[in-house]
Amino acid sequence: MGSDRLSNNLRRLRFENGQMTQQQLADKVGVTRQTIIAIEAGKYAPSLPLAFRIAQTFGVPIEQVFQYDEQES
Amino acid sequence: MNQTKAESWLYFIIGLACFLIPGSVAVFIVYDQGVSFAPVFMFAGIVIWFGLFWLFPFIEKKVRKGQKKVSFDERDQLIHKKSVMAGYVVLWLYFVAVCVVAWCTVGPRGSISVNVMPLTLLGGLVIFTTVNGLASVIQYGRESKGEKS
Repeated sequence: MGSDRLSNNLRRLRFENGQMTQQQLADKVGVTRQTIIAIEAGKYAPSLPLAFRIAQTFGVPIEQVFQYDEQES
Repeated sequence: MNQTKAESWLYFIIGLACFLIPGSVAVFIVYDQGVSFAPVFMFAGIVIWFGLFWLFPFIEKKVRKGQKKVSFDERDQLIHKKSVMAGYVVLWLYFVAVCVVAWCTVGPRGSISVNVMPLTLLGGLVIFTTVNGLASVIQYGRESKGEKS
């Protein structure tokens, strides 16, 4: 379910936004805390709508939250 | 523990119990009393199975409609989808295995009791229930490693 090529700055962004907890972020984007944990750990690649909702929550473009590594094989 | 993960455990354990306990009783009755209990048992099994997998989540969803907290999201949906697929694959393999075993046991010109059919179907439901629950539990277990707040 995860993607080795997809990395994210979720943890950093949470702490930069008033030390937001995983539960608070989960409530804001409408998922469970376990899903946020899985995304942060790179074990789950979120759907596009969810990725956009997360980016909107932090008020940043989606590429600042998620990065796709093209170099990795 | 995630609520959906807890539900998977519940389905796995209760699902097994729902079939194994009445199953043991049915086998005991068949051998002790000499009655053909298979069709009744199959009907009861199917009712329990539908109750467990379709009615219970439906009622639960209705009850929780007013609650704001999210308990089932896209990741749970994906896990559920994969678990159901795993259940169906194993179910299909089980039916193939049953056919092969029956053919090997009684031979191409042999015959088997009609009671074998409902019991085979019920066995399929047990296998589906178990594999579905187990696959969910494995996926949640694997995903939950290294949980931090």
